[in-house]
Order: sequence, then C-alpha cells, then structure tokens
Amino acid sequence: MTARVRALALLAGLTCAAVSALADENNDLDLIPEGAREPAAPAAAPSTAPATGQRIYVENAFILSSLRQTLVPFPPPEPANWQERLFLDLRKEWRLGDRLSLNLSDRLNLRAQDNLPIPNHENVVNDFREAYASWEPLERAYLDFGRINLKSGVAAGFNPTDYFKTRAVVEPLSADPAVLREDRLGTLMLRAQHIWEGGAATAAFAPALYYPSPLYTDTALPSFYPALDRTNAHDRLLVKGNADIVGDFSPELLLYREGDRTSVGTNLTEAIGQKIVAYAEWSGGRQSSLIDEALRYGRQTGTLPANAPAAIAEDPRLHFQSALSIGGSYATETKVTFNLEYHFYQPGFGRNDWANWFRAGRGTTSASPIARELWFIRAYALDQQQPLGEHSIFLRADWVDAFIPDLEITGFINTDLLDGSSFAQVTADYYLSNAWTVGALAAADLGRKHSDFGSLPQEASFLLKLARYF
Amino acid sequence: MSERRAYLARALAALALVTIAAAAHAQSAQDIIAGSDKVRNPGQPFRATDTLTEYVGGKPRDAETLVVYAKEDPATHQFRNLVRYVEPPRDEGKMVLLDGRVLWFYDPSSKASVRISAQQRLIGQAAIADVLTVNLAVDYAGKLLGSETIQDAGRQDRQCWHLDMTAANDQATYNRVEYWVEHESYFPIKAKFYSDSGRLLKILYYRGFQEQLGRMRPTEAIIIDAVDNSLVTTLKFGDYRFQDIPEAWFQREYLPRLRAE
Repeated sequence: MTARVRALALLAGLTCAAVSALADENNDLDLIPEGAREPAAPAAAPSTAPATGQRIYVENAFILSSLRQTLVPFPPPEPANWQERLFLDLRKEWRLGDRLSLNLSDRLNLRAQDNLPIPNHENVVNDFREAYASWEPLERAYLDFGRINLKSGVAAGFNPTDYFKTRAVVEPLSADPAVLREDRLGTLMLRAQHIWEGGAATAAFAPALYYPSPLYTDTALPSFYPALDRTNAHDRLLVKGNADIVGDFSPELLLYREGDRTSVGTNLTEAIGQKIVAYAEWSGGRQSSLIDEALRYGRQTGTLPANAPAAIAEDPRLHFQSALSIGGSYATETKVTFNLEYHFYQPGFGRNDWANWFRAGRGTTSASPIARELWFIRAYALDQQQPLGEHSIFLRADWVDAFIPDLEITGFINTDLLDGSSFAQVTADYYLSNAWTVGALAAADLGRKHSDFGSLPQEASFLLKLARYF
Repeated sequence: MSERRAYLARALAALALVTIAAAAHAQSAQDIIAGSDKVRNPGQPFRATDTLTEYVGGKPRDAETLVVYAKEDPATHQFRNLVRYVEPPRDEGKMVLLDGRVLWFYDPSSKASVRISAQQRLIGQAAIADVLTVNLAVDYAGKLLGSETIQDAGRQDRQCWHLDMTAANDQATYNRVEYWVEHESYFPIKAKFYSDSGRLLKILYYRGFQEQLGRMRPTEAIIIDAVDNSLVTTLKFGDYRFQDIPEAWFQREYLPRLRAE
C-alpha cells in the first residue's frame, strides 16, 4: 500500500514536472513581439526585392590631425591639420544581355583642408576607379576589358601577391587595409578567366601607356583625370590559377611580370576546426632594396635631381627577395574576429637602414635636399602599398554588435618588430538604420622619435563621419 | 535453480528489449530529423529569396534581403550554399560561399575574397547561418527524448517528437540543438540552439506552412535571441524556384561572377 502511494506520488510529481516544463517551453512564445506574432499575409510573404547590382552612397567626413616636430625635418607642404570631405560613391553593373555587362565604380569628392585655398580646382577630385565590359563567350569563360581593380591575396594586413595595388590607393580616409582596398584605382587591362569545377585560371595583361609619373600629393591632385599614369606605366602580365588538390585544400599559384622583372607567388588557406582559419601569402622575385627602388624612381620622374648623391647608401644589385604574410583569423562566440599576422618584406628597412636614415637626416632643415630625399623614400613605400620595415606584426579585431546591436568596432595595430613602434587605429560604426551610418575613427603613430612610426609628423588623427546609402 | 534461470532469462530478454528499443529510438531519431529536412529543403537545386526583419525592444528596426542558391552535394548529402546580399544598400552585392568546410566572403567594393571560419557564419557581415540550407540529419546525431504537445508560433497545440541533437562533425553550426518535429507531417515546429559552452543562443519557431516547390514547407521562421531577449528576427522564405546550379559555382573565383538577377 505504502509502495503504491509512493509510486502514485512519484507519477504525479513527474506529471507535474513535465506539465510545468512544457508550460515553461511555451513561455518562449511570450518573447515574440506583438508586430511579429501574426504570419505575413501570403501576398506579402515572398520577398522578391530585385538585386540592383549597385551601391550608391554619400558620405561626409571631417578629420582633425595633430602634428609634431620630427627628428628629420619634414619638407613642405606640411600635412593638413584638418580636412573636410564630402563624396558621392557609386558602384553599378548594367546587364546588356545574358552574357554581357558593363561595370562602373567612381567617387566624386568635394574637399577642403587648411593647406588648400578655397575655391580651387583641387576642391573637386574625381576618382575614376573602374569601368569595364565583361563578356562570357563560353560557359564560365570570361573576357573583361577596361579599367579593372584586380585584387589578389588572402591576408588581411599586407598582401604580397596583390601586384596591382602599387600606386593605386587614392586619398584614403582610413589606414585600415580593408578600406584601402576600396579606395583604389583599377588598371586598364584585358583579362581572361575560365572557371571549372574545382579550379580557375586567370590571365591579365595591362599595357604601358604612360611614363612613370611623380608621386601625387594631396595638395596637387588633378580634378577630372583618370590617372592612368599611376596604373599603366609598365607592361604587366599576371597569370594565376587554383585547383582543389586534397579535400578543401586549394592553393593558388601566381606568376607576375612587370617590365623586365618576374615574380612568383602563392596563396594558401586552411580551416582549423570551427573558429580558426590559417593562411599564408608569399611572393618572391629579383629586385633591389626599397631604398634603391625609391631613389631610382625619384630620379627617373624628376622629383629628385638626376645626379644628386644618395643621402644613404644604395645597393643597386638585384637579389631574389621575398615578401610574406602569414597568420590566421580566430572568431569568438562573442562576435569578435581577430586576425594576427607576421609580415616580412625583405626589401624593406633593416636595422642599418634605419640607423643610416636617422643619421643622414640629423641636422638637416626641412628645405634641405637630403630631408626631401629621405622623406621621398617613405612616401614611395606608402605609394607602393609596401611596408617600410622588414619585420612587423599585425593584429586586427572586428567586434560586431559591440555593447549594443548595430555597433561595430574595428581596431588594428601594426607594430614594427625592429623598434617596437606602432600605428594603431580604432573605428566605431553605428548603423542607425538601413540607410544611415554614423562613425568615428581615432588613429595614432606610437613610438620613440628614433623609430619607424614615432618619427612620422602626424601624431594622431580623429575623424567623424556620416553616410547615407541609397 | 530453475527460478534463478528463469529470472536470468527474463533479465536478458529485458536487456535485449531495451537495447533494441534504444537502437530503434536512435534510428527513428535520425529518420525524424531526415523527414523534417525533406520538409524544409527541396530535393533538387533551388534558389530562394529570404527577408530578415530584426525587432529591437519589440520594434522593427533593420531588414536584410538575401538570395540563397542551394544544391545538395551527392557525396556528403549536405547542401552547398551561395548567398548574395540584396539589402541593406550598404551590403548590396556581398556574397558568401559555403561548401563543406570551405567558406568565403566576397566584398565587391574591395574585390576581396576572404576565407572565413565556420564560427563566422554567426557573426559579422557573413552572419548567414539562419538562411543557409542545411540537412540537419547530416550534421547532427539525434536522440529521441519523447513525445510532447507544445504550442507552435501561433499558439496552436502540436503533438511533437522532442529530439536532442549533438554536432556530429565540425561543420555543424551549433554544438547542440533541441528540436521539436510534429508527428505525421514531420513539420519542424521549434528549435533551440546551444553554443559549445552549453549556453542557449537562439530559440526558433517555424510557421506559415504553404505549398512550395512540390510540398508543404515553412515560409517563415521567428528567431529569438536567447542571450538578449530584446532581439527577435523574423525570417521569410520566398520566391522559391528550382534552378540549375552548375558545380563550378561553388568556388571563390565564381563569387565575383554571380550576377544580380
């Protein structure tokens, strides 16, 4: 009897617990907001918003910079203390049938800054990034002709195999490599590509149409000028391909020829578990040092006197030199993605080069040809989108829905391993709605005065922006 | 002695029955999940347009529209997906490729293809886990917990199988899923998704069962953020169409070539 009562009590308890658990289960329904409780009307349910193939937005940005005295005097004009930029950015594709399309990418800038008189033709600058026709004569065989932004590489901070990046970046608002890839000019080229199951091959030829031109500065920019001299000053040929070898391992191999020099490269990626992607990007070829390349370019374009003695030792010999970016990404459950990379750029500044650079600049004035030459080397590296130092570490973090929904915070730090100096930047973008984005950016060059980033004239900068998408 | 033998025989028979029943349960759990997969996913390559509306604090805030192309891999029986962003305008033309362990994110503004991890299906610009076509029976091992009557999104009682599913490979988006599938119809009614650490991440309800591509399928899902209850997303599956999708589409070099339609 007692056992029967106990069993009934247990059964009743279990039933109550089950009913309670199911009631709890149904409590989840209370979390559905009023407006979402009813299913969409059948007519409204299928969303058939057409893909437009376009992105148009207007952005206004205001930038304040704080400058500092440098050990090696910076030649005039000094960097701007403030800049105001309003631009209309357009990317659009027109379909002219099943197998033909036209593509355009352009940015029209209105700008003002403290070292630029107003009004001035330079207040209007148009960045004619891309305009090309794409034709598919056979299934997944493509021919593209026109100004094309051809990007290669798998790393986040430095892309040794992104051969068409040189001289292509135009007046960026952010130093984030992800943004630099957006603000760049394409190269006039003919590109052929075939994609098949498990692989793809691409060949691109860009002809030399101009002689190499002097580096552009932000106080001497033509208004409506395609600037093909930046991108088509040499005959360039790129052949690249990838194929699935084992499982998901699909290495990409690249062969690149510019003028009389040849480089080879590779891109490798591999997923490790759920959260990590490892990658490596390498390129190698015969070339001289960054210093020698820069000085030769300066003399060739008339920026530096043709027969001026070099301020620091040159080594015109060609060596096989490598550039490498190796690292990985790691994504957390808290919506943060980290990228950590080691960058090696063999033609860049080693310890002796830095010692020579500072020694040569000691006691000079901003008007001296030596200071001009020394800073030209650094401007050249920036224009080529190559690191200045030989060894560096890059760490980037991107946090989606940071603290509150629709707030994205991105930060990165690039550290020169020879002297420990760094460039650091933090960006916060808040997506007010589907159309509006407001953002802020803070950046700083950190380090001793005798260091890579510590020797730069810009100490810090701060940017506020508002963008409207259409 | 004979009593003992009879007792032993009964015990062995009971053990055998339990073992057989457990095996049958395990088998039927996978069958139920597979049956539900057939309700959610057409058997032929197809495309659909998905619209996500995010509610914050009960008010609609953001909307996203994506076009999903899906095709089952005959070798793995798992779907491969190509996702193209249509809206919001700032993301127009961005694309994600998912082919087994291979995921790539492509941004037409930078022309850059970035390989992403499986975890990144849940975060950032490539947060597309909710719209991917997935055969759950391939990625999860199920256990039948029992039969229950629960309320669906419209507060109607549904007699369901209650399943507990754990990730069977490293391609599964979530570590563990609780899943309620309606008897007879195999309609998916509700799911709860858990992280590696056992934290409840999302609660999902299916609704709006309508005839689509040859059978009754859910046309809406409601996704409740279990970490922040003020966030709720509705997901509408529309514009279903069978479409021939060549194998060559499922690789990174094809992403820039996938045209807006």
